[in-house]
Amino acid sequence: MEIKRAPFSADLRDLRQSLKQLLPLLENGPDWYGSIYFERKSSKTYSANLKQTQVSDQVSQGAVLRIYDGYTLFEQATDELEPASLRSFAQSFAERVAATRPPEGARKRPYRAVSWSERVASAKLDPELLLQIPNGTSAETPVHFGIRFQRYPKAATAAETLARLNELIARIKATAAEAGFPQEELTFITARESFSDEQSIFIDRETDMSQALYRVALTLITMSGSDRTFLRLGGLGGLETLEVKPEELRTLLVNLKGLKKAERLAPGKYPVIFGPVLTGVLAHEAFGHSQEGDTCARGRSKAWELHKSGERVGNEQATILNNPAIYEMAGEPYAAWGSYFFDEEGWLAQEQVLLDRGALTPPMTNLTSSLRLGVPRTANGKRENWASGVYTRQTNTYFSPGDQTLDQLLSRMKNGFIALHPAGGMEDPKGMGIQVGISFLEEVKDGKLTGRLFKGPAGGDIQLTGYTPDVLNSIVAKSKIDATTSAPDRSRHPFNDAGGCGKYHKEFVFAGCGGPYLLLDQVILG
Amino acid sequence: MKRTTQNWTLDTLKNELNRRKEVKGWIITQEHIHRRERYFMLDGGALITDQDREVRSQSISAKIFVGLPKAGRQGEISKKLFPALPLTPQLDSAIAAARQTDHQAWSLPGAIPKELPEVLTADARMAEDLEGVMTGLTRRMGAAVARRRPTTFSSAELFLSIHDHELHLSNGLVHRSSQSRIYSEAAYSFTRPGADGKPHSDEYLNTRWAVSLDDLPVEELFDETSDRAEHSLDVRKPETGRYPVIVDADVLAALFSSQLTQLSSMNAYHGLPFVKPGDELVPNASGDPLTITLDPSLPYGADTAALSEHGLIQTPFKLVDRNRVVATATDKRFADYLSAVPTTVRGSIVVDPGTLSYEELTRRAPKVLEILQFSGLFVDANSGTFSSEIRLARLFDNEKKSVTYLKGGSLSGSFRENFRGARLSNRPVKRAHFSSDAPTGDGYYGPDFALLTDVSVVG
Repeated sequence: MEIKRAPFSADLRDLRQSLKQLLPLLENGPDWYGSIYFERKSSKTYSANLKQTQVSDQVSQGAVLRIYDGYTLFEQATDELEPASLRSFAQSFAERVAATRPPEGARKRPYRAVSWSERVASAKLDPELLLQIPNGTSAETPVHFGIRFQRYPKAATAAETLARLNELIARIKATAAEAGFPQEELTFITARESFSDEQSIFIDRETDMSQALYRVALTLITMSGSDRTFLRLGGLGGLETLEVKPEELRTLLVNLKGLKKAERLAPGKYPVIFGPVLTGVLAHEAFGHSQEGDTCARGRSKAWELHKSGERVGNEQATILNNPAIYEMAGEPYAAWGSYFFDEEGWLAQEQVLLDRGALTPPMTNLTSSLRLGVPRTANGKRENWASGVYTRQTNTYFSPGDQTLDQLLSRMKNGFIALHPAGGMEDPKGMGIQVGISFLEEVKDGKLTGRLFKGPAGGDIQLTGYTPDVLNSIVAKSKIDATTSAPDRSRHPFNDAGGCGKYHKEFVFAGCGGPYLLLDQVILG
Repeated sequence: MKRTTQNWTLDTLKNELNRRKEVKGWIITQEHIHRRERYFMLDGGALITDQDREVRSQSISAKIFVGLPKAGRQGEISKKLFPALPLTPQLDSAIAAARQTDHQAWSLPGAIPKELPEVLTADARMAEDLEGVMTGLTRRMGAAVARRRPTTFSSAELFLSIHDHELHLSNGLVHRSSQSRIYSEAAYSFTRPGADGKPHSDEYLNTRWAVSLDDLPVEELFDETSDRAEHSLDVRKPETGRYPVIVDADVLAALFSSQLTQLSSMNAYHGLPFVKPGDELVPNASGDPLTITLDPSLPYGADTAALSEHGLIQTPFKLVDRNRVVATATDKRFADYLSAVPTTVRGSIVVDPGTLSYEELTRRAPKVLEILQFSGLFVDANSGTFSSEIRLARLFDNEKKSVTYLKGGSLSGSFRENFRGARLSNRPVKRAHFSSDAPTGDGYYGPDFALLTDVSVVG
């Protein structure tokens, strides 16, 4: 299969030039570090259900002009992109910053732009990223990073895409009959496919770079009364990310049928195997959020104190990574959902260990949190969209793989539950609590799945809760990346599902969510 | 604000849509947003602004309805349009895509309302001088931070925005409105030596949305945050069991909002969970009977509006009367689909208050658990179930006459089961919430507390 890369959109070339010319205005003060971020997300969403089909065609684009004066990061964002308007916008912005008095008693922490040679020399960059940086790149060289894809996602027409979704609905109905699920009990089915072409540009005095990501996702939802199952596929690449396997449709319906007669879990402590998406949520909520540098800089994370004191917060199995540079995973040719080449403050993507066998490492950062904490920059400066502020955010967060197969984990647990279907989660960086939502559990007896499903004590989701170090000390074993075989893993990175993340209760961003299976002993479920 | 990059105007767009024979109807919305945002924190003991942002944006969106060769069906698309780009290719591609979709046909109202109700949606102080309001609130926050407390200030955020909105319909309606939005949060931490001699610490984060400055008591927000942070270390885990549980207005707003979908004609049409008029909202209820009204006229409510997106006048509309569902919220689309009369679909959820004071609620049972904050409340609108970790709670032991603080474990509930014997407080409060994925906000005006019964808690 021929490998292609998403190109820089030709219609943005003039804008790129005019943005670059604004930079002197943004560095017109003592120790000002100026930079510019531009983003355009063009998305099409197609959906079909039992009654109708629909299309939504949305574009969001805007430029963020940035001045960091050693104390405060000032941003002025606009979607008015005509050169003269941008210039006058930049001028008035610089005047606003110049008129701002520095905070009394605060320490000044100036920042200097990093050259390409420093960027490449100081980081252990993924080959996929390195090979797109031309030799001899200088401040004047436009560098473009494009995501790899096999099947061009823009090629399909609206008619073809909607036909594909209707065909999926027909397949679900046919599979329901095969799975012994009466069609009249299948009260709602929806299939939704989305494609987004995400173009971004970052410019400072040492860098002029762009990236193009193709984000593709498919969601299938089946309902019977108030019971619901769903399947979500997606990644960065082409339509190769969306292949639905027959057994996935069958599982969707077998589970829906099981939920109709699911029992309610008695709250308590249980051994449980978490599937990959749930281990991703666990990693994300445990020492993902609390390892966000801005949360640490605000004095709102215990992880910062524990990192400095060296206190262990998990056992030998507890290794958590954050990695925006996953360009293929678990044998799949496409990039993980939370990946990119550079973050929204222009820092190149790189793997980072957040928790190393129970010991906390320095946190993820964005520009200002890196300066305030005095720790290295990482590529975690992200924003909900160009109009929103930048925070330290996670990309793909997951546990490192182990050496067990799923069958081995089941045998080892013997009796308990397996949890494969996520239902959200929540962090508690300072209090070190954790919440991981589970849609339903399946019972395991004598190392075998029994098909009996359990809902929460009130008939809804189940929550895993606890003190985060206790939960991380309860990890008994981890699976390999390919948990179906005992052969050595050939992939470097585990599968990361298409997920999302809020910072507390707002600022939604995309995040990958995956990892190996985990066997947890005696965790609180209720 | 004048836009310089403009290939076409709204009038050009409307004329072009009217000219195209395949177009049956359209809804155009234009929104100008002006945002000011500041993030505050301490740096070496000094209060600093970590980020200071200003955003100006304009968006034009169109929903275009096109005819299809099939009787009783039509195509639709929802599309963002750019004045900086030529109009014709944008419309051509939108109409071509819309023709591939397939909906039951419906139409916008034939008549345009003549007199609209007057509603209060934007705080005049913000509409006139957003920068001045930002300066004033920054000063008040600075003073709140400077106040001596046993806790330590960690951070705060302050977001202000003005949303100027225009609605243009193919039936000739043009309507302009404006809304102000305020988001504020504060976080305080508390540290003291633990039994092991090491410093122990925890925090409390408080967030609040509002439409009017009068609904954002900054000093109260900071005081409450600090007070709760101070209790964050005096905690133990709850004991597993079933409790009468007091939840506050923020939780009630989320729970009632999720129930609203089951009272909508959209759910009826799509075969989703639906409670029809005549049914009890909470089966076999024995507590305070619930009366729920959708009120689009509530001054400075999060979803206060004179008109719906389909151009129909919005007036207060009772959905549930003393626990009996009396109506279904139906927009023009679903009214046409289901041969029903369109109703009010916008507005804050107004819940009639009960008769008991907060203090009386805390004394209604030998042991009453009050949730001060959930970690992350997840509500399933289809099943009406909800669950969350308990971030901070207090247990009123009325036999021992003690109050203890709790943290950890989780609570699982069900609207239909745990509201069965619910008692509502007698003091109504206003709440607002906005999220980036919804064009309108969620508003609530109702009891500040409710006591739910027999709720499952695991510790």
